Amino acid sequence: MTVCPLAAALLLGLLVNGLLPASASAAAPLRVDASKRGTPRVTVSLISDAVSIEPGSIFWVGLRQRIASGWHTYWINPGDSGEPPSIEWKLPEGFVAGAIVWPRPEHLPVGPFMSFGYEREVVLPIQMTAPASLAVGTGVTLRGHASWLVCEKICIPEEADIALSLPVAAGPPAPSTTAPAVEQARRLVPTPSPWTASLSATPETVSIRIAAPDLAAEQIAGAWFFPMRWGVIDHAASQTVAVDRRGITLRAARGQLPQGTASDVDGVLVIQERLDQGLVTQAFTIRATVAGAATGSSLTLAGAIGLAIAGGLILNLMPCVLPVLSIKAIALLTHGQSSPSVVRRHGLAYTVGVLASFGVLAVVLIGLRAGGAEIGWGFQLQAPLVVTALAYVLFALALSLSGLLVIGARLTGVGHGLASRPGYSGTFFTGALATVAATPCTAPFMGVALGFAMTQPPLVALIVFEALGLGLALPFLALSLAPTWRHFLPKPGRWMERLRQVLALPLYGSVAWLVWVVSRQTGPEGATLVLAGLALIALAAWLHHGTRAVSRRWRRAAVALALGCVGAAIALGPMAASSASSAAAAPPRGARWEPFTPERLAELRARGTPVFINATAAWCITCLVNERVALHSPAVAEAFARKGVVYLKADWTRKSPKIAALLESFGRSGVPLYVVYGKNAGDQQVLPQVLSERTLIEAVDSL
Amino acid sequence: MRETMSRRHFLTTTGIFILVGQAASTVGPSPSWGAAAKVGEPAPDFTAPSTKGTPVSLDAYKGKVVVLEWTNHECPYVRKHYESGNMQALQREATGQGVIWLTLISSAKGEQGFVSAAQADELTTTRKAAPTAVLLDEKGSVGHLYGATNTPHMYVVDKTGMLVYAGAIDDRPTTRRSDVQGANNYVRAALDSVATGQPVKTPVTRAYGCTVKYS
Repeated sequence: MTVCPLAAALLLGLLVNGLLPASASAAAPLRVDASKRGTPRVTVSLISDAVSIEPGSIFWVGLRQRIASGWHTYWINPGDSGEPPSIEWKLPEGFVAGAIVWPRPEHLPVGPFMSFGYEREVVLPIQMTAPASLAVGTGVTLRGHASWLVCEKICIPEEADIALSLPVAAGPPAPSTTAPAVEQARRLVPTPSPWTASLSATPETVSIRIAAPDLAAEQIAGAWFFPMRWGVIDHAASQTVAVDRRGITLRAARGQLPQGTASDVDGVLVIQERLDQGLVTQAFTIRATVAGAATGSSLTLAGAIGLAIAGGLILNLMPCVLPVLSIKAIALLTHGQSSPSVVRRHGLAYTVGVLASFGVLAVVLIGLRAGGAEIGWGFQLQAPLVVTALAYVLFALALSLSGLLVIGARLTGVGHGLASRPGYSGTFFTGALATVAATPCTAPFMGVALGFAMTQPPLVALIVFEALGLGLALPFLALSLAPTWRHFLPKPGRWMERLRQVLALPLYGSVAWLVWVVSRQTGPEGATLVLAGLALIALAAWLHHGTRAVSRRWRRAAVALALGCVGAAIALGPMAASSASSAAAAPPRGARWEPFTPERLAELRARGTPVFINATAAWCITCLVNERVALHSPAVAEAFARKGVVYLKADWTRKSPKIAALLESFGRSGVPLYVVYGKNAGDQQVLPQVLSERTLIEAVDSL
Repeated sequence: MRETMSRRHFLTTTGIFILVGQAASTVGPSPSWGAAAKVGEPAPDFTAPSTKGTPVSLDAYKGKVVVLEWTNHECPYVRKHYESGNMQALQREATGQGVIWLTLISSAKGEQGFVSAAQADELTTTRKAAPTAVLLDEKGSVGHLYGATNTPHMYVVDKTGMLVYAGAIDDRPTTRRSDVQGANNYVRAALDSVATGQPVKTPVTRAYGCTVKYS
């Protein structure tokens, strides 16, 4: 038959045409009829995490790049050279595509340069929103045009069309075969950091300080910072990492952009942690806020001094200082018959006292900062011991004003001390006391001025501090230098007593606030100990004051007892400071948990209750990430509730032997450890140390 | 004959050495470049051979505005500006106003962009480029001196020898020729500022392009 050879030729021709790949040059876009298209160095495809699309739902797709060996593509900040991939979408009506969500990058050194990106294979997740108006039973094709730069030593810009066809179906879709790849990619996307970060810069280096208490230096094998923008740090320079009890400090050479460190810097912090099963990498997004006032660079010394004086003036009105100051002013008033020169000298003694105390504070602060501590004003409130001491002092002062304690007559001006002799030393110490009382408080303008001072050399910082002290001392100094004001004040009388008692109230308020600060730092136990200390001081005050009119022997015993109470109160201070610090624990979301004990576990196992054990520690970063990513999700809580799983948490922060025994029984020496126990004896499953929501839910569902 | 050191002297000297060593080790990580060129400071002087064989120094051009252009004719980003005629037009504009335009090639032998003097001259002719001179920096010493990281990487030096601009040629860091039109050309803006005696608005930008192929 003559038709057959013709048909055969046609068929063969069609076959050959179909098999020959479309000729592709690097720049020519390719027609799409399948989901995979690429060029020799990078093969791109659009993959999804589900087999269908539910109308109105949010789902994830991924741009998968399979990169030839030795070549690489780039992260959002490509580093010293390069360009990140981008996608121009051509989506059906109503679909909205989000921006690319970037997995953590790798370091790609090329010669003396450093780039950030990906090698071998990477999936870049993109969130898609489907319109609610989709008709079930139809199919949609998501199209786009991807372009990227792929480099080895030389660079080649490449591009390709991508497309993904999916049916529309009702209800939550089943995961597709490519779902694990998309989920793995989403797992590699940095999680928001639980810690605050701050940035400080010198002309040569940039320091990023991450406030992560309780980290164990030996757990951390390495840490790196990848900035989101160019010019902040020198990408190719090595970064030094120091881990101490307060957190991690990264130092890197400064980048080329002079104003790169003037504003907050966003970036990714990658930490490599040593776990039982090797090194695990975790990535966090951090925003390093610029330490100190943003106006530091634009503030001149004169401006800072002006602000400091203004701040000091306003500080006089703060509840901590006003009582002290008022009492002293009133004392001066009551002894108005003293000569103006005496009053003037009192004013100067007070000023000298304030200035000297501020000088001491400044020296301590500057010294601590020079020693490497990243602290600012208010540093004295970071140590629970200092806060406790301040609380005691202010409480004693308040008691004195309330009339329950009569000591320090010269300090408060109560009594005859002032009338009998000048008592300049007393006034000097009043100035010191006013400074001490002022330390818990801050005033407007103070923050800006002190922020400026922190960025300056020690001498300039000292000058700003003394300006603050001058502002604090100014009202009293002015009053003492201008004698005429005394004519305007009412005569001494009972109102003074009333006023003193009223002025004690803001001091009690300050004490309450300080106790709250201690409770934040050391938890309820610490706060209770401080309150006990305050009660002891009140007792001592009563003993001292209430036994004034008693016979000598009892008096001495009472005074001794009072001193004993004070001593006990002081001893309680360090105990409060070292009590269990539950620093601002975030309320646990997700499933409710019980503390682990071997007895509880045995009891639950005997009853056949499914149990999930989470062995964790405060210094374990992987544990922290797993908790946020997997354990605290509502889906997991729901799965636990559905199967009646009891969640036991074994907190190994303080290395208890019972938990060590648990770890050992699973052949582990460290955390994290995740175990799911089923209903039957011997039915247990150890989950991987890098946990994902899906793994956990699957394990629970299989019970 | 040297007198023996007293013990105190020895301890003091040792102590000083230890202190100096500690101080030196607390100096943070050193930058990878140590480039001497910084915007706002005098541009470092250099001498490099031109394609004509004569050595060319920056100092010889004191009193004139100088533009330094790092290039690699095979880099897609450089090609974007040459194939669109953008770079040549900018060169003509600048040299027409008395600006000295120096094109530098810091590619090492065997690397992408490396050319001999003759090849470089041929490229200039075929591309109709208009630099004052093309300098061959095979060892990369000028590139390292200026911290040139990419091609194209542009620097502008004013009449007093101060470096006033370092960075990209414009604000569209792509290889697409269509992005030349409508881009904010930083070099043109810098030259305009220098000509009118005003400070350059964006003195430092991130240079985009291929990495310089140092040895």
